[in-house]
Amino acid sequence: MTSQNLLPEEFKTLEPLVAVWALPTQNERQQRRIASTRPALKSFYDTMLQQLPAILKKLDEFPLDQLPQKESRLMTLALSLAEVAPHIELYGGDPKVPYAFDEARFVAEHGQHAN
Amino acid sequence: METNNQTLRWASKFPELGTEPIPVEPCIAPEFYEREKDRVFARTWLKVGRVEEISRVGDYKVKKIHFAKTSVILIHGKDGVIRGFHNTCSHRGNKVIVETGEETYGRNKAAVVTCRFHGWVYDGKGQLAQVPEEERFASSFDKSAEGLTPVHTDVWEGFIFINLAEKPDRSLKEYLGGMGQHLAGYPFAEMSQVFSYNTLLDCNWKIALDAFSEAYHVSTIHAGSFPNVFSSGLSDVELFGEHRTTGICLSLNSKPTPVAAIANSITGASLVSQRGSSMLPPGVNPNRHNDFSFELSVVFPNILIHVSEGIWFTHQFWPVAHNKTRWEGKYYVKPAKTNSERWATEFAQVLQRNAWLEDTATMEDTHAALESGAKQHMFLQDEEILLRHGYKVLEQYLEQ
Repeated sequence: MTSQNLLPEEFKTLEPLVAVWALPTQNERQQRRIASTRPALKSFYDTMLQQLPAILKKLDEFPLDQLPQKESRLMTLALSLAEVAPHIELYGGDPKVPYAFDEARFVAEHGQHAN
Repeated sequence: METNNQTLRWASKFPELGTEPIPVEPCIAPEFYEREKDRVFARTWLKVGRVEEISRVGDYKVKKIHFAKTSVILIHGKDGVIRGFHNTCSHRGNKVIVETGEETYGRNKAAVVTCRFHGWVYDGKGQLAQVPEEERFASSFDKSAEGLTPVHTDVWEGFIFINLAEKPDRSLKEYLGGMGQHLAGYPFAEMSQVFSYNTLLDCNWKIALDAFSEAYHVSTIHAGSFPNVFSSGLSDVELFGEHRTTGICLSLNSKPTPVAAIANSITGASLVSQRGSSMLPPGVNPNRHNDFSFELSVVFPNILIHVSEGIWFTHQFWPVAHNKTRWEGKYYVKPAKTNSERWATEFAQVLQRNAWLEDTATMEDTHAALESGAKQHMFLQDEEILLRHGYKVLEQYLEQ
């Protein structure tokens, strides 16, 4: 796949994830996780986890909330990992929280804020 | 009463609470709910907000109070005092502030509110300041006597409380008593980033409150989100009149998962990390045990306040009907200073949301099953002592 220059150069291998997982709000990231398959979650988690320390280091080169566009996309990918990680690490890959209340009824008052 | 001091440590400490089964009637009977509304909710102090929500002069918040069929305007006046009023215009009774939901926020620099219907203007003290075409009202109409109907309102540690009684039997400070002192001095305002959730539950408010008031459920309900993280025992249970408090402890031998380990190394925004005690008031975790996670305090009747190092959170349960409850969960952390802190905070908050989804899963089932009438009593074990105290206090209120 040719690079579309969507992410900082050193993270270009993550570009295929951008279309699906670079989502600006927590509500969108949550919906994407719920609608994903187990293999898709696992694949996203494995790819992202390897790069997570480097991603966080890169993001900290910039002041809070002053990320350029490519780094901002990288941030939303990392935030999607925060959304997905418990499902791989704790819930056996289940896209939903097992034995839990209906997430659609849980209103997040902060959930539509970008980033 | 005979108790086994080894296994019934709280029954031994609080013998007045007894050990007998608790009737389920208070959770399901509509008549009980009617009495509760009159004798508890209509006359106790109830938390309705935080000062940070209306921090500037002229800021206001309107909160629906379903059980009382009212909504209350809380306004930050020019004199810096926050006052509460029924959201009902003195003219023909329209709502002064048109609501956009359960909680409506607004701002008027002059610290007045204006009724949309005919433009009557009220100031921050609730006085009627302006009536369009005032001269067309009869001379018997006395503007100075027709302000908004006040609601007793006071502030403790930044929490705004109201009391709907005509004349409260105690001040907020007297009402909170030892509980107010127990949590006083905690720097609530330092944790200025809030994540808020709400939902309407098909259950009695006490079923919801009870589900959050013990740690006995942790090893089963939170087997997913918090496996082997918390020890089930309570620490330092104290009763303060109607109110009650306990410490909840971590088990220190659990190993964090990979992403959790990275997040915990960046921020202390998760309960699932070993916590310090630099900001805890002296009565919270008094012996400074290093496995302490958070303090769980129930301010009667309907709010839980939890404080921990760098985190605090509340659960509040508003009765809407005998079998309907509005739940509000709020999680407060320090604002992130870096992008990696921002990320780690999100991870901690997502995990907490998932744990709350697990907590909330049982409540509607409990209510539905109790309504079958199959059981007349519930059995509380020693570590569910806070629930026992809650039913005892409720009984005292209803007997008054």
